[in-house]
Amino acid sequence: MALKQVSSNKCFEGFQKVFEHDSAELKCKMKFGIYLPPKAETAKCPVLYWLSGLTCTEQNFITKSGFHQAAAEHGLIVVAPDTSPRGCNIEGEDESWDFGTGAGFYVDATEDPWKTNYRMYSYIKDELPKLINANFPTDPERMSIFGHSMGGHGALILALKNPGKYKSVSAFAPICNPMQCQWGKKALGGYLGSDVSKWEAYDATQLVKSYPDSHLDILIDQGKDDQFLSAGQLLPDNFIAACTEQKIPVVFRLQQGYDHSYFFIATFINDHIKHHAKYLNA
Amino acid sequence: MSFRSGSTREHETSDQSTGRSASPPVPESSEIEAEGLIFYHMDLYGSKDRFDIFPEDLSGQGDRSRGDTRREPALSSEKFPRSQEAGYDLEREVAELAKMYGLDEDREKELELLGGHLEMVESRRPPAHTEKAGSQGSLYNASKSSSPVRDQSQSTKQQGLPGEASQDEDQSKAIAEDEAESHIWSREGLSSSAMSDEWNSQAVSEEEEAANVFCSTCKMPIRAFDKLFGEHKDHEVAQLSSAVESEKEEIHKNMCKLEEQIAQMENFASHLEEIFITVEENFGRQEQNFEVHYNDAVQVLAQKYEEQLEALGEEKRQKLEALYGQLVHCGEHLDTCKELTDATQQLYLENDKASFMKAAVTMVDRLEDFLKKEVDLKLSTQPDFEERVIDFSEVEQLMNSINTIPAPCAPVISPQAPNAATGTSLRVCWGLFSDDTVECYQLCYKPVSNDGHNGEQAAPSPPTIKSKKIRSCENAALVCWESRDINPVDSYMVELSKEADGVISSLSIVGIPNCEVLIHLQPMQSYRICVRALNLGGSSERSEPVLIHTTGTYFCLNEDTAHPLLAILDDGFTIACDELENPECDLPVYDNSFTRCIGILGSLIPFPGKHYWEVEAEEDTEYRIGVAFENTPRHGYLGANNSSWCMRHIITPSRHKYEFLHSGMTPDIRITIPPRRTGILLDYENCRLSFFNAEIAQHLYTFTLHFQHYVHPCFALETPGILQIHTGIAIPPWTALP
Repeated sequence: MALKQVSSNKCFEGFQKVFEHDSAELKCKMKFGIYLPPKAETAKCPVLYWLSGLTCTEQNFITKSGFHQAAAEHGLIVVAPDTSPRGCNIEGEDESWDFGTGAGFYVDATEDPWKTNYRMYSYIKDELPKLINANFPTDPERMSIFGHSMGGHGALILALKNPGKYKSVSAFAPICNPMQCQWGKKALGGYLGSDVSKWEAYDATQLVKSYPDSHLDILIDQGKDDQFLSAGQLLPDNFIAACTEQKIPVVFRLQQGYDHSYFFIATFINDHIKHHAKYLNA
Repeated sequence: MSFRSGSTREHETSDQSTGRSASPPVPESSEIEAEGLIFYHMDLYGSKDRFDIFPEDLSGQGDRSRGDTRREPALSSEKFPRSQEAGYDLEREVAELAKMYGLDEDREKELELLGGHLEMVESRRPPAHTEKAGSQGSLYNASKSSSPVRDQSQSTKQQGLPGEASQDEDQSKAIAEDEAESHIWSREGLSSSAMSDEWNSQAVSEEEEAANVFCSTCKMPIRAFDKLFGEHKDHEVAQLSSAVESEKEEIHKNMCKLEEQIAQMENFASHLEEIFITVEENFGRQEQNFEVHYNDAVQVLAQKYEEQLEALGEEKRQKLEALYGQLVHCGEHLDTCKELTDATQQLYLENDKASFMKAAVTMVDRLEDFLKKEVDLKLSTQPDFEERVIDFSEVEQLMNSINTIPAPCAPVISPQAPNAATGTSLRVCWGLFSDDTVECYQLCYKPVSNDGHNGEQAAPSPPTIKSKKIRSCENAALVCWESRDINPVDSYMVELSKEADGVISSLSIVGIPNCEVLIHLQPMQSYRICVRALNLGGSSERSEPVLIHTTGTYFCLNEDTAHPLLAILDDGFTIACDELENPECDLPVYDNSFTRCIGILGSLIPFPGKHYWEVEAEEDTEYRIGVAFENTPRHGYLGANNSSWCMRHIITPSRHKYEFLHSGMTPDIRITIPPRRTGILLDYENCRLSFFNAEIAQHLYTFTLHFQHYVHPCFALETPGILQIHTGIAIPPWTALP
């Protein structure tokens, strides 16, 4: 697949680049951000995938989170894809900010008119890593995943549905139990239809219940003053309860005074990078 | 030219050092003197821009160039500065010296012409000089201030030095350079900045011929013409240049001496400063010494006073007792007398003659007997008291023993080292372990009997290392021992040996004054350690050895700090609590033990670096584990104050709850898998305290804090249960991050 470089900026002695390519899964042009640390010039590096939340593009994370210093220090390649296919001209895709464009929810849609393009799950799971490994100095055996909000949901389900694929997973204010919250019901219903049993495959709290092994170390940061937390969109308690029952190691930190924004992400991004580095560089 | 030799020398050295800045020239005899000036202290006189002063070529001539910066560019550009020589402003002194040596203003005028001539000569040479100058060229090529002079010289027809002028034209550049250098030098040496202004004004107006001969008799420069035909006819003369040269040498010598003196004075000044401090220190010590002696004397005095007072009291008591006894006796006696008197009187009243006679006879006998008794009317004791004198002699002795300098502590002789003795000689080494003033040591010796005992003192018996109290980490060990010995012990010696790859290497540490020592060790090794005690009679046998492994951090529990309800089991590393009742009741409480929190402190080696240990607990045990300062309040709860940090596990009806407490505050953290074995990493280097679920290598929480003192591990139980502590674990790699 041909990659077209859109931009390149030197950052902490490494490079923050943006590329565009034609996606076979999503059947449209897709952009992603990739940070190559200084170590990548001479050695193969592990890859950390970041999934952004509702309304984001590949730009938000690379400009607002301040992850570069830690990534450079620990020698990690960080890939930040877009949150949904774009420019597909599907009717209704731009009607709401929490469904359609910018709200792919990291599922493979089965309902029309979404099922042709809205296959973010397969894109993140297969197509993107293959593309990255073929074009950049990566160590294909070392991959981890993390994200924010909808992206947190994406990271959790990808890790839980693919045991052993990711060395570690973490999340900022993830949507832990989409089947039970308004966002989730809208999106899963829209992409997967009204059969609720089909939704379980994309719900972290449900997936945990059947997760086979406990070799996962999950770090979750949640702002205490997050409006969506109080609105019941995130439901971390359900996830924690399920993990406790299943003996999945989770450290969940409720951060006093923090909200849902990138300011919150920027505050704790270093802890998350270090968390992943511990497993990726081991 | 007569002074070619000197200048040639200069020239050579200049050439040799071409291209190197500030490099010293090849030392020549006249330059060695100059070398001495290198050591001069800049600071005293303030440093100036060194580049502009002291071009190398002048070194051989003795005088430093004191030209002001205005004249510097006029010098040959190949002259390199001596960076060491800049610094002090000799201009003033030069002026004075110049005056002293009769180089007065009149001469200046004549010399200006010289200078002017030289400028002209020089101005033709800058290109050559540029090559040679290297980095210094720019300073010298730029003829900022020389232009006025040069112009003047060019405008003035120089006749004064006919010989030289023509030569400069005709000869090779090299020679001309010599001339220029020497002339410039002479001009430099004799002028001062103050007079430089005169140059300009006077050079133009001067029409006379320049003086070129020096009359030694009159000590003034004259024209050659004057020598032949003038008043100086019979006087001693010398070439001006050589005269100048010798004058300069004189001046230079004096300058050197001056500089020496300056250096000396400076050294002396700093020495004085040191003495200042020493005086203060000595005063302090003396003061202390006097105070101690004074207190001793006063104490003795008070003691004596009390003794005497007591004795006096005792005496009084005795006297009173005796007197009282006598009084009682008198009373008795009186009573008896009275009784007899009454009886006798009664008798007289008896009318019956027969019974009277009967009674009377008895009475007479009684009276007789009674009167036979001696009546002791002597005082049994005197009212006067003994002479009592407070014995001041001891106090006097004390007062007289206040020495100006306290006697020093005894030095400690090191045990005899191997190869320290021959058949006729012996090498003795000792050390002094206090900062007393010692004027000299006195070594006494006497031959001892063949069986080795010196008869005066027996060597001590070996100490016992407290193996249970050893604290160690990867890089050090703190060992303590006890010595129950009637023989006095002067010092201890520790021997440690390690075995690596079959090679045993040992090390001794001697001269240890107390019963403990902190030894620096290599990580991942095993050491065998024993201790000996030493005194004048020799050294004891080795103590029982202990084995120390530097694979991790070992610490023991400090029993003194244990809450009365906390029990330490036999292995020394398990603590248990059976009941929580009456945690504040009248249980025996020792000064150092926890009173509310059922806790205990460990004794961690006070050493930087990383320390790691693990605590094992059952799921249903509520506890607090972490670290605390030694002085954490014993009435407080671990984590509730700012001198302790701990992880607290409690169980609510719905779930396990974990708090990470310091100053009573905790972040809000949920942990899905309750750790059964918690790893604690204390990292002084990176200022953090981290907690891990050691079984799954999961990081739980990290405190970031700046330790002001060393801390100790702390443990407390909040429910009946057991905590098992594991030490000596190598630091796991998964604790490195985060």
